[in-house]
This record gives sequence, C-alpha cells and structure tokens, in this order.
Amino acid sequence: MTPGDEHVHYLRLANGIDLAVLPTGRRSVTAIEMRFLGGYAYERPDRLGVAHILAETMTKGTQRRDGRALNDAFDEIGTSYAVSAARETFVISCVCLPEFVAQAVELLAEMINEPSFPGEACEVAVELARQSLAALEDDPLELAKKCLCQQAYSPPLNRHVYGEPATVERIGREDVVEHWRTYLKPDRLLVSVAGAVDPSAVADLFERLFPATGLNDPVVNASLPLSFPLGFRPGQSHRQKDLEQEQIGVCFPGASAVDEDEAVERVIIGLLSGGMSSRLWQSIREKQGLVYWVGAWFDRPRTGGMIHLGSSCTPQNLEATSEMLLKEVNRLADDVTESEVQRAISGILASAQTHGDVTRAKATRIVNDLFYLGRPIPLEEKLSRIRAVTIGDVRQYLRRHPREQLSIVTVGPRCLKDFR
Amino acid sequence: MAHTRFFQETLANGLIVAVEVMPETRSAACGFLVRAGSRDDPPRLAGMSHFLEHMCFKGNERLTSEDLNIGFDEIGADTNAQTSKDQTFYYSWARCEDLGRQIELLAELMRPSIPAGEFEIEKDVILEEIATYKDDLSALAYDSLYEELCPGHPISRPVLGYEETIRVMTPEDMRDYLGRKYAASNMILIITGNVDPAEVMGLARRYCGSWPSVINKGRDGHPPALRTGATGRIIDRFHQQAVAVAFPSVPTTHALDETAEAVAAILGGSNSRFFWNIHQKGLATRVSVIREEYADFGVIILVGLCEPENAERLLEAMRREAEQLTRDGPEPKEIRRVKNHRRTMLTSESEAPGYRLGQIADDIDYRGSPRTMEERLAEVDAVSADTIATYLRDYPIVGEGFVATIGPRMWLSAK
Repeated sequence: MTPGDEHVHYLRLANGIDLAVLPTGRRSVTAIEMRFLGGYAYERPDRLGVAHILAETMTKGTQRRDGRALNDAFDEIGTSYAVSAARETFVISCVCLPEFVAQAVELLAEMINEPSFPGEACEVAVELARQSLAALEDDPLELAKKCLCQQAYSPPLNRHVYGEPATVERIGREDVVEHWRTYLKPDRLLVSVAGAVDPSAVADLFERLFPATGLNDPVVNASLPLSFPLGFRPGQSHRQKDLEQEQIGVCFPGASAVDEDEAVERVIIGLLSGGMSSRLWQSIREKQGLVYWVGAWFDRPRTGGMIHLGSSCTPQNLEATSEMLLKEVNRLADDVTESEVQRAISGILASAQTHGDVTRAKATRIVNDLFYLGRPIPLEEKLSRIRAVTIGDVRQYLRRHPREQLSIVTVGPRCLKDFR
Repeated sequence: MAHTRFFQETLANGLIVAVEVMPETRSAACGFLVRAGSRDDPPRLAGMSHFLEHMCFKGNERLTSEDLNIGFDEIGADTNAQTSKDQTFYYSWARCEDLGRQIELLAELMRPSIPAGEFEIEKDVILEEIATYKDDLSALAYDSLYEELCPGHPISRPVLGYEETIRVMTPEDMRDYLGRKYAASNMILIITGNVDPAEVMGLARRYCGSWPSVINKGRDGHPPALRTGATGRIIDRFHQQAVAVAFPSVPTTHALDETAEAVAAILGGSNSRFFWNIHQKGLATRVSVIREEYADFGVIILVGLCEPENAERLLEAMRREAEQLTRDGPEPKEIRRVKNHRRTMLTSESEAPGYRLGQIADDIDYRGSPRTMEERLAEVDAVSADTIATYLRDYPIVGEGFVATIGPRMWLSAK
C-alpha cells in the first residue's frame, strides 16, 4: 500500500456538518477530530480569553451529569478526549477503540449540546486562567511567541489563547454561554474520523446526534465571519527579562494554505530546518555552537501565512545568532543546491509514510484539509505537488517573498541593537 | 503467550538484535539502546553520557558528521537520541524500503571518533542546553529534587552535568568512556515495522558484527537510599513555585509495576483526584504524579506548580489525597477508569513502529524480552483493589517523604 492509497468519504450532512471519514481497515484505535469555527479570534475584544474558559468549563458537566460523572463516562469506555481553544477553531479531539465509537460520539454530543456550565467551574476557570497568564512569565519561549504574534499579526489574529488579565477578570458564566451558543453549532463544525469504521454509520451518528433545530440560525450565521484577513506589521521590540538565555523570534509573510506556493514553502521550511543537514541547524548550531535549538516553521491562519524563525541563546551569542538566522534565509536564494532540495522533499515524503501509520495524524490531516481547503485532498495529490517542486521554484519563491520588512522580538537580559 | 512476530538473536560479540514485525505498517524504526546513562558518568565528569550522545553525530574515520546528516536526510529519516539516568537511546524512523541504509547510518553513529574541533564546538552547544534548562522551572525542580533525594549517589546528578564538569572534559576522557560503554555486549539493536527478520539479522551482522565486546560486569554500584526530609531553593525571577514530594516506588520489573501506574493515574492523571480536588479548586495550574522506574529502584513524585503563596496549601492537599487513597482505598470505578484508559493508550502507542520501538527497548533492557500487547493488557487487567492496597502498604505514599521546592519563596519550616 502506498501513502496515497486511501479513500476519504466526504459528506455535507443535512445539519450542516462537514464530515470526512477515512476507513483504515486496521483494528487499532479510532481518532475523531472536531473543529468549530469559533476559536479565540472570534472573542469579543472586551472578553479575550473566553474561548479558553469555555474549553475548561464545557467538560465540567451536562444537563444529565456533573463533571465527574461525564468524565467517568468517557473513562468507562477508555476514551481519551481533549477540548481546547485554538486561534480560529474550537478543538475537540478524541481517541477510542473502534467498538466504542458510537458511545464516544454520543458522549461528545451530550457535552457539546447540553453543557451545564456550573457557576463554580466558571469561576475556577477564570482564576486558573489568571494564574496561567502569570505563569507565562516562567515560559520564555511561549512568552516570546505571544509578543511576536501581538506585534506582527493584525487583529484579531494577534491574540493569545489566555486573553489578557483585564479581559479575563470580566468573564462571567454568561459570556461563556454566549460564546458557546454563537459558535458551537453544527453548521460551523468540521469533523474527521479515521479508523476501522463504517462511513455511513458514522454519518448517521453525527446527523442524529447534532440536530440542526434550535442551534443553526441562518440569519445569525450569515453575519458571522468564517475567517479573518491576515495583515503583517513589521517592527522590532524587546522585552527585558532576567533569564539565562535570550529568546529570538522573527517573522515575515509567507504563503497561505491555498497559495500556489504552498508546496514550495514546505520545501523551503525543510531546507531551513527540516533535518540535521538543514541550513539553520548546520550553520548556527553544528558549525558554530551558538545555540541548542533553532528552527523555522510556518504558521497559517485560514487566509494567509507567516514564516517564523526562532532560537534561544546566551546573551553573548545574541548578535551572531540573530544575524545568521536571516542570512541563511537570504543565502538560500543564491546557493541552494539540487541535492538539498531533493533531501527536503524526501523528508516530507518519508514523514507522510512514517507518521501516516498513526491514526490520529491521519484524522488531523483530514480535518485541516476541511478547514483550509474546504474538502479532503487526496494525500497523493499533495505529495505530487511536493515532488514537483524544483530548485527554480525555490529561488522564485524567495524573490516573490521579500524580507526587507521583518517583525522581530527578543525576550531576555539584553536588547538587540540593530538586527540587520 | 507466544510472540509470533518477535525475533531475537545475540550476535557473537554480544550485541542483542531484536525485531518485531508489524506487517500492517509502511515504515520501519530502528534504535540502538546503550546501557549507559548519567548514573554511569565518572563523578568528576558529570554529563559525559549526554555529551557523548551529541558527539556520536559528529562522525568517524569513514563518515563525517556532514555525511551522516546528509545520509539520514536523504532517506527522510526522523532521527534523534536521548540520554536518561541509565540509558542512551539512538533512534530513527523511515520508510521500510530504506531499512538497510537506516541500520548502516545508525551503526556508524555508534562508532564515533570524537574529533577535537567538533568536540569544542559541541561543548558550547551543551552549555547552551544547560542554560535553556536554567530557565525552565519544572526542569530545575526535577534536578534539584534528585540532587537532594539521594546525595552522593550517581543517580542524583543531572543528566546534562554541570557547567564546570562539561568545561573540563577532553576528547580523551570521552574516548575512554566510549570504549568502556559502547561495546557490543552493552548494547541492543531494536527494529520494528514492516521488515523481514532474516534481512535485519543479515544487516546487523554486516554493520555491527565486528564491533568489540567486553566482559559485561554490569553496572557498578548499588541502588540509592532515598532520604526523607526537605530542600528548598529561592530563585526569585520565577513567578510560580514548584512543589514536589517523593517516595520510594517499585523498580521497573516489579510485579506491582502496573499497579503503581494505576495509583499514579488515580491520584494524578486526567480526571483524577488531584485534578478535581486540587487543580479544579484553583490551587495549582498543574498538578500530577510522576513515576520514575529503574532496574534497581523506583520513585513516585507528587508534583505541582502554583502561585508562591499557595505552596503550603498545595503540599497539604497532595498529602491529603495520598492519605485518603491509602486509608480508604480506590473506588471500583476509579480502578475501571484508569485501566480502560491504559488499554487505549497502550493500543494507541503500539500502532506505529516509531512508538512501538520505545516500548520494546525498555522491555528488552530491563526484562530481557519484550512483552506482547496481549501480555501488557493482561497485566493491566490484573490490577485490583487488592494489588493497590498491597502497593500502598509496601510502598507508602504517606509520611514525610522528601519535599523539594523551587521558586521565589522559601516557605519550608527548616529555613
């Protein structure tokens, strides 16, 4: 069986759910990934952090059982689940054995459709969110990412999942209920299921358990955005902090998921930090010993993309590391080699085959297709695009995405004077 | 139960080669487990095992570091290594058609020449890694706990070592250590995935058959005597306080191993007593139970992160939950729920060669052979209220224990 040898069943259910099912035929676990278009980008500006509070409180009880009983019911069938707020989506992930799929989806439906939002749970969630915001100060990497996102991305895509102290303080149970009522509806739901399942049985399940009545409101829904435009704001800032190391974050605009350069960008990220022979790893860590970690990655909201470069180093290496980060990206356009491009392509193709053995990874890939592309895309089609990337494409991409304007953040004991 | 898909052979030089065939997968994972970790570091050279793990990627007389890096990337292998207190594990995961190249490259990693120039550059990388950990409250708390839990014992030293021990290391020190620890008879080669065992054995002989062997005396030393008491360290740049209390637990091959796992899950897993009675009371942003198991001893650690003024309350709350579990025992539904969770987790972990590799490596190192999934699930099934009571009687989690705290506040009574 080749990596692309799979058939995804895709349906738009009568209740509005976009459902994609990948029967694996293999009796291992079944993975369910659910994404409501209602992440923290959708929060009211004066209630930032409410999506996270919703994630924390939704699991604390339904009209039929309290929080412990609900979680016991999941545990009774050995089902692991997680609820979290992402930037544009509200995420529910679940893994269970195939024989428990129906029961797991019934419990998920009960939790999603009939949450009780106990007042005490809401208060505790607000208190814990306040503490988590304070605890961010003990997590330099996450703090640097938060600072860079606030600086470089246009609102509302520049927010942090925990919100801000002033807005979290104001959140009450009614705000949690409002976010849930507005966004957690079947016609804003994308679902993927991977495992030893029957697609039509899964479709029946999601249609039956998520009734449209009373939840979908076409008039209200028409007024709700499905995405947000991504704007880029260049700049440089420093957050003074007593740390052993400096955190460095840099970003600049990249390709969106639907951009024709999307596959080329994946290869470029591979060239920069895909493996042990990649540019950043080699030039900054292996040849100079300036850092322990360095990386490049892309971040893609629904409507756009950003390329990020990041590292941490002791203060005496700050200038050298920062300079090398961008130098390596720019140098790519001049001296990238055919063999490097082929290695980056190999890394992506092999990863599809190795991690393709993981059921959860399959479900995540497919739900991401629904979110970004509106339909599941055959894996082979994606891999073909990667295989087709040439050295010329890489050079052309780097010309088309100039890096004169950057957004740069440092967090640590020393301020970086002049990045360029 | 017969393990129909598992093959194990020991080469003439003592290298154990273990293969698990997973015909339903499309990839293959390979790993070399070296029975050497930070507890084997020479005392004045703490951090040696971990530094050597880095240096193994720096090449030898046949292949430069660049050759190795390019080699792994050409086959798109997901390659890495990790050092713990008693093992160093090198692994790679790639397409099954690249199995031969994977084994060849991994085998080259195990024969490094420790070039002097690369050694000095990598020393700087290690010092950067130590600096990274100094900004991580949880990592500092972990190292601090071990240093005071069994002072003077090799297990007490941090895996990364100390700045001063790293700075004085020389390539000669490392070559000496390499010669003693990276003998074929002190290593295990494990392969999982859609592979042919006969082919694997042939590859193992070709690439590893000439490696030297040594008379394996086993690990020098004795299990640590774990102290009771308390230790605290003020680092006022942190905003949170880490609070941990440790008790002795079972070694890895103990019959109550799976029971210890259940105790940890009932107290500190998802939907656990700690979750509902501590985290959900707003007392700690994170609170859990960590188990550490070695061949000769084990530790169970109740640990949480909280606001500094809540440190005493957090410690009291963790102790209260441990006492209540010991006194009243678990509820039947708690046992059911953690067992069900464990079953799903084990099944999930075993579906991909890259994940299964780790399960098998520990089994072979500690037990001599791997457990099948059916055997592991049977061990989960055997957990009961009785086995939990036995565990809590023989390995109590009440009483003084050893408390460690790090953060902006010193709140322990023995200031």
